Amino acid sequence: MSFTSRDMPGIGTKYELDTEEGDKVSIVYMEDEGVQLYVRSGEGDYCSADLTPPEARRIGNVLTGAILETEEEEICMVFSSFADLKVKMHTYKLGDRTAGKSIADLNIRRSTGVTVVAVSRKGESLLNPSPSYVFDKGDSVLVIGNPEQMKRFEEAFVR
Amino acid sequence: MIEGIGIALFVCLVFAWLSKKAKFPPIPAYMFAGLLLGAGGLGIVEESTVSQFLAEAGLLFLLFTMGLELRPDEIYGQGRSFLLSGTVDLAINILAGYAIALLVGFPAVDAVVIACAFYISSSAMAVSSLIENRKLAAPESDTILWIMVFEDIMLLLIIVVLSSGGKSPVVVVSTAIALIAGFFVVCYLLRGFISEFLERYEDIGLIFTFTAVIAAGGIAVVAGIPSTLVAIALGSALSITRPELLEKHAKPFRDVFLIIFFVFFGISVDLSSGFPVVEVVILSLAAVASKLLSSLVIGKAMHKNYLSGIEIWSETIARGEFSLAIAATFGSPLVAGTVAVMVLVTSTAGGVMGKYSGRIKKFLKKKSLSPGLSG
Repeated sequence: MSFTSRDMPGIGTKYELDTEEGDKVSIVYMEDEGVQLYVRSGEGDYCSADLTPPEARRIGNVLTGAILETEEEEICMVFSSFADLKVKMHTYKLGDRTAGKSIADLNIRRSTGVTVVAVSRKGESLLNPSPSYVFDKGDSVLVIGNPEQMKRFEEAFVR
Repeated sequence: MIEGIGIALFVCLVFAWLSKKAKFPPIPAYMFAGLLLGAGGLGIVEESTVSQFLAEAGLLFLLFTMGLELRPDEIYGQGRSFLLSGTVDLAINILAGYAIALLVGFPAVDAVVIACAFYISSSAMAVSSLIENRKLAAPESDTILWIMVFEDIMLLLIIVVLSSGGKSPVVVVSTAIALIAGFFVVCYLLRGFISEFLERYEDIGLIFTFTAVIAAGGIAVVAGIPSTLVAIALGSALSITRPELLEKHAKPFRDVFLIIFFVFFGISVDLSSGFPVVEVVILSLAAVASKLLSSLVIGKAMHKNYLSGIEIWSETIARGEFSLAIAATFGSPLVAGTVAVMVLVTSTAGGVMGKYSGRIKKFLKKKSLSPGLSG
């Protein structure tokens, strides 16, 4: 596996990967924000996608091992200075069990150990919601915790 | 005065939108807008001292940002292939340009300026076409971009040579070298300070960038050397600090002022009275053809394939901002008109070829199954 990078004057930096199967992946980081992604299978033509920075980050997250399901996504991080800590972030879509109740009512932190980092309602996200935030059916939450805490949260509020 | 600039900018705004919709390079569109509005067209807008100042500022910002990209350490590491492709491009196109300009009847002095404008491709159009047409993964795109860098360096030399006409070249060259060396020494000594300054204070960084570019124009007047040269040199010297921040600050100024430069270039040109249309169209078509020749040689040498040459050709046909800059700074009115037509013809041809080079290559590949072309 060889990843090479090259400076492209006036444009940005190109990263190229020749895969074991003989395919080629090129990623061009552009100075003017944005990324172009090229993929070529064998000796065929290139396919390409023009990505905004958030789109590029999202693809990066998925590629680094996040599980992508229809309504749930998860990433798992280990920071070098907290090497013994496995931090998981997970999104869930909430249903009837939490509807009409606030974060404080549900006592989420004490009963499961996870922290609600953000909620999203009809496409609008709110970071660090207050304990008095009342859930609706269909809200999504982003929670942070370790794998055991995550499991408890799922059992108590999602499944 | 101001109302003329307003009208010109408004028309450019419409043209910018149209060219975005049509996915076509905007530079010829702005110039065409100028031709429509100006002396040779409807005669609505005239040049003024204000428009001249703004146009010159556009040129200085363009060359300053170009200088920021000229990072001596990176260029030094490029080696033989960079020199080879750049030299082939220079030799073939500048000689062809000079010979054809003489052949169609331009006086020798004009032919020199035309040859320089004939040689230098538009970096702006090549970069945006490579991005727009999704060609960045192809190895030819690296070759194309480094040819553009080589041309930028040659532009420095062209400015030195052309501006020393009449005066003693020794004085101009030695002043320029002393000044450039001075910039590099000052920027090297102050690089920590300037970098920190740019990182910490966004608003002051903006003022610093603007002041640096306008001051470059002022220094040039005092030292008696071309402001274009000083702008490139200053940009290149400052590239050892935080070029990406400087570029971010300079970009909005460049983008707006350059439009004024393009549109007023068109406005100043008069193609109606006694302009040698046929000769200039021949010259423009030759400009398309000579880049084909140089690109085929480069494609064969660098990528072992003539089809790569077609790709390189498609992205280097368009002449644009630098050709106009040369014509605006050093050309007679006749040369300015000639270069205007050349930019219109080549950038239109380049816009089309940039889009369809893939299909042309496929077509040629099929043909070449009967042996000969790809090899």
